[in-house]
Amino acid sequence: MLRAALPILLLFALWEAAVIGLAIDPFYLPSIRVVAAAMQAQAPFYLDAYLVTLSEAALGFAMGGLVGVGSALLFTRLPVVKDMVLPIFIVSQTVPVIAFGAIVVLWFGNTLMAKAAIAFYLTFFPVTINTLAGIAAVDPRQVALLRSFGARQGAIMRKLLLPSALPRIFTALRLSASLALAGAIVGEWFGATRGVGAMLLAAMFNEQIVSLWASILVAAAVGGTLFAAVALAERAMVFWREEL
Amino acid sequence: MSRGVVLRGLLGAALLIGGWELCVWAFSLPQWILPPPSGILATTWSARAALLPAAAMTAYEALSGYAIGAALGIALAMILALATPLRALLLPMVVAVNSVPVAAYAPLALLWFGTGALSKIIMVAFIVGFTVFLNALDGLTRVDPAAVSLLRSFGAGRLRVLWVLRLPSALPAIATGLRISTVRAMIVTLVTEMLGSQLGLGWTIFQAVLLIDFLQVWAAILVASIISLVFFGVVSAIERRVVFWR
Repeated sequence: MLRAALPILLLFALWEAAVIGLAIDPFYLPSIRVVAAAMQAQAPFYLDAYLVTLSEAALGFAMGGLVGVGSALLFTRLPVVKDMVLPIFIVSQTVPVIAFGAIVVLWFGNTLMAKAAIAFYLTFFPVTINTLAGIAAVDPRQVALLRSFGARQGAIMRKLLLPSALPRIFTALRLSASLALAGAIVGEWFGATRGVGAMLLAAMFNEQIVSLWASILVAAAVGGTLFAAVALAERAMVFWREEL
Repeated sequence: MSRGVVLRGLLGAALLIGGWELCVWAFSLPQWILPPPSGILATTWSARAALLPAAAMTAYEALSGYAIGAALGIALAMILALATPLRALLLPMVVAVNSVPVAAYAPLALLWFGTGALSKIIMVAFIVGFTVFLNALDGLTRVDPAAVSLLRSFGAGRLRVLWVLRLPSALPAIATGLRISTVRAMIVTLVTEMLGSQLGLGWTIFQAVLLIDFLQVWAAILVASIISLVFFGVVSAIERRVVFWR
């Protein structure tokens, strides 16, 4: 906890020192105390944005994680499907997927579902790819051993393949946490009235630099929350990692 | 990759596009749900006069930002690879700044640098710089300590160790960073353009959404995807040439 907080405190100290020491124009970087005061003055407003964006990102992120692992398991069972679908997945990683956010908003309107759907498909691809890589890295002799003891495909999956892939799944989840958040924020740009993305947009149009910085801090808080949730789940589920 | 895998991949792509086209006709889906691929292609062609300048602008912004960011990222990684105490201080802060999504910084860049190309180039340079920096630093510092000691014992200085040992062994990591950055550069350009610009594919997409012109959205996405694919392909090809031992 302290190790995570230290760089942030250091960053804040550096921020304040730079503002005072270099006399930076408040238009570029207002003092952190001013930003904090603005956040405190309108605390319910920022808290609402935090909760809205967090629920959008978290919902999409959770669905993306589950479907990602699920489709990787499906691909492991059906290699032909994998050969047909995986290249499309990989090519789809090289196109700017976030642009599809516009279409998703057209489909769902300005609902929680729209942003969750964007967060969902940004999460889903990396998790699928990493789960597959984790399963592929399992020693085939271990599979053969379990099979020789009469274990069925389902048991092998549950007891060997999935646990071995867990570290890589969590690597992908940590990576996608910020992607899911980015998806939710961009989704809010298309006419949403609540959430961090909407706040960023309003602050930009009104040239309110203090509330813009406050929104950036709220975005960081949402990202930090998602990240912490993944880290906690990882510590609970991949408890053997320290021994490796 | 074996021929069978390639064939299945092509079959998958053909099935996807064919199935998409067929679904649209069979269920006579309205355009706002899903336009047919043929319709998207037709719109792209007929709107080429408007899409081409936008595409050129987007490509220009993405490429310039990419070049600047890559150079800065590698240079900064080399400096920090030499200065160990500075690294311990700076790295956690770099990671903290990097953990906030780009989308949150983009409005700031627009306010500071205006709606022209400059704000996009700076945003792209920022993100590409971060990605390349983290990858390069990882590669530069993950060398065999015994090899460093050997070189040092022959009287090689820090700079010499960097040049003959660290840099060559970091090349694969740097190349990976550069390859991932191509896609990120395109995404950041589009996202920043969506917020405000005079020209560019991101702006085209944003305008088309507001005008509820669905085919135009799909057409702009298609063009952006093609640029992104070509960019990714070229960088991957260069990577295979330079890091031939991989």
